[in-house]
Amino acid sequence: MTRARFDPLLSLVGLLALLLAWWTATRLGVFPRQVLAPPESVWRAFVQGAGSGELGAHILASLGRLGTGYAAGALVGAAFGLAMALSREFEAYTSGLFHAVRQVPTIAFIPMLVLVFGVEETFKIVVVAKASFYPVALAVFTGIRGISAKYLDVAAVYTLSLAQRLRLLMLPAALPPVLTGLRLGLSRAWVALVAAELLVADEGIGQMMEMGRQMFRLDIVLMGVVVIGTIGFLLDHGFKLLERRLTKGMSA
Amino acid sequence: MIPFPTPQGTHAAPVAGALSIRGVSKAHKVDGRRLDVLREIDLDIAPAEFVGIVGASGCGKSTLLRLIIGLDNAYDGEIRLDGQRILSTSLDRGIVFQDHRLFPWLTVAQNVAVALAKRPLSKGVKAQLVAENIALVGLSGFESAYPHQLSGGMAQRAAIARALVNEPKVLLLDEPFGALDALTRLKLQQDVQALRRRTACTIVMVTHDVEEAITLADRVVVMKGRPGVITRIVPVGAQGRDRSSPAFARLRDDILGELMAEPATAAVANLDDARQRQG
Repeated sequence: MTRARFDPLLSLVGLLALLLAWWTATRLGVFPRQVLAPPESVWRAFVQGAGSGELGAHILASLGRLGTGYAAGALVGAAFGLAMALSREFEAYTSGLFHAVRQVPTIAFIPMLVLVFGVEETFKIVVVAKASFYPVALAVFTGIRGISAKYLDVAAVYTLSLAQRLRLLMLPAALPPVLTGLRLGLSRAWVALVAAELLVADEGIGQMMEMGRQMFRLDIVLMGVVVIGTIGFLLDHGFKLLERRLTKGMSA
Repeated sequence: MIPFPTPQGTHAAPVAGALSIRGVSKAHKVDGRRLDVLREIDLDIAPAEFVGIVGASGCGKSTLLRLIIGLDNAYDGEIRLDGQRILSTSLDRGIVFQDHRLFPWLTVAQNVAVALAKRPLSKGVKAQLVAENIALVGLSGFESAYPHQLSGGMAQRAAIARALVNEPKVLLLDEPFGALDALTRLKLQQDVQALRRRTACTIVMVTHDVEEAITLADRVVVMKGRPGVITRIVPVGAQGRDRSSPAFARLRDDILGELMAEPATAAVANLDDARQRQG
């Protein structure tokens, strides 16, 4: 069965339609200009922010936190998922807590985390790490547990050690789901970071928007929305391309 | 598990690949009920002998191979290889499954090398062993191909190379050609015959193709299911191997008759199976 392939440019249609609706709404004065800033003033805010270097500094601050927190969260998550997948005992002890905490959105932990870690960098990095931990841990766990018993038999027949099983069988077999988990973790982390910055931060995209809101500069707020969406999209899309490259030719 | 004193040195000469299966019974628990898979299996296989096990689906013949390879040690009775009790997998036994089970992310050469991972050999020696065994199964030139780039027959050859690279005392074949087309199957059967002349390992092949068993094996073991028991052991003489000989036809009819002489439901299934083979 062949699937119809559409021009990727078609995905711009929705975007353009939204832009047109936005522009029309501001033209017709559906909302006051202070509430719904027109596209051109959002664009001006963007050019201004970019020109002064302020926007760049905010983006860099946010991406720095994202990088540190994500690396920590993904690493600990992968180790945790691996331990759960390899040891039924470890799974028995931890899975209850693991799955219960998983049901609580990261944002709901923010008030508590502020009390524990304060409002400094550590807090934001912990939020990012927590957000990326779960998708990665879950992906590693299900990826390794999902390996066909047929392949595990082969590993047993040739008496492979745990290290050899990991290198020759488990990690390659689990790679596609793990990459998806890593990608999901990254986008979850980005969303959680922006939320944390909106609440408490002295720098970063979220903080820039919060300042804009306080000064009733809705053009800056909307500009932040667009920047967050674009960065999130680029991170996700870049990861997808990486995923495709790494798993190329692996479909049996 | 009762520890068994290994009777090393009891044999006058080191016997390689003598299998002794004694009173082996195996049961599964299904919904709390005991389901007998194998009952009181006794079978002695001489070194370098080729034994074919035939029987309908579900007669426990593949389960028996799982016990011999050591993937399952929850059974009654005992299986010994050269006097030593089999309790887990070991590199002195190799197996080829019906599906090749090559790792899709590794090349043919890497897949064959998986079997050597635990051997304390130098890289050079390993590479040489891999190359030799790939050549042995006629796959030279495909060392760096991935499994999905191979035909079914070629993938199965690679799996055979992987099973042979450790020069096992015992080679187990679990319906190795069952998923291949008739022509490829015939070709691989010939290759296995040729292989036998070059390696000295004991071979146990499970198949539901009676003709395949007669062509390749020294003895054909007939099994019946639920619970799996051995009902007959038929020796195949030198003339019996020639597919066009009357001796071959007699053996085939004899074994098929044996397979069909069972309770009504199972017999119907076997009849269908036999018709497919002959038609």
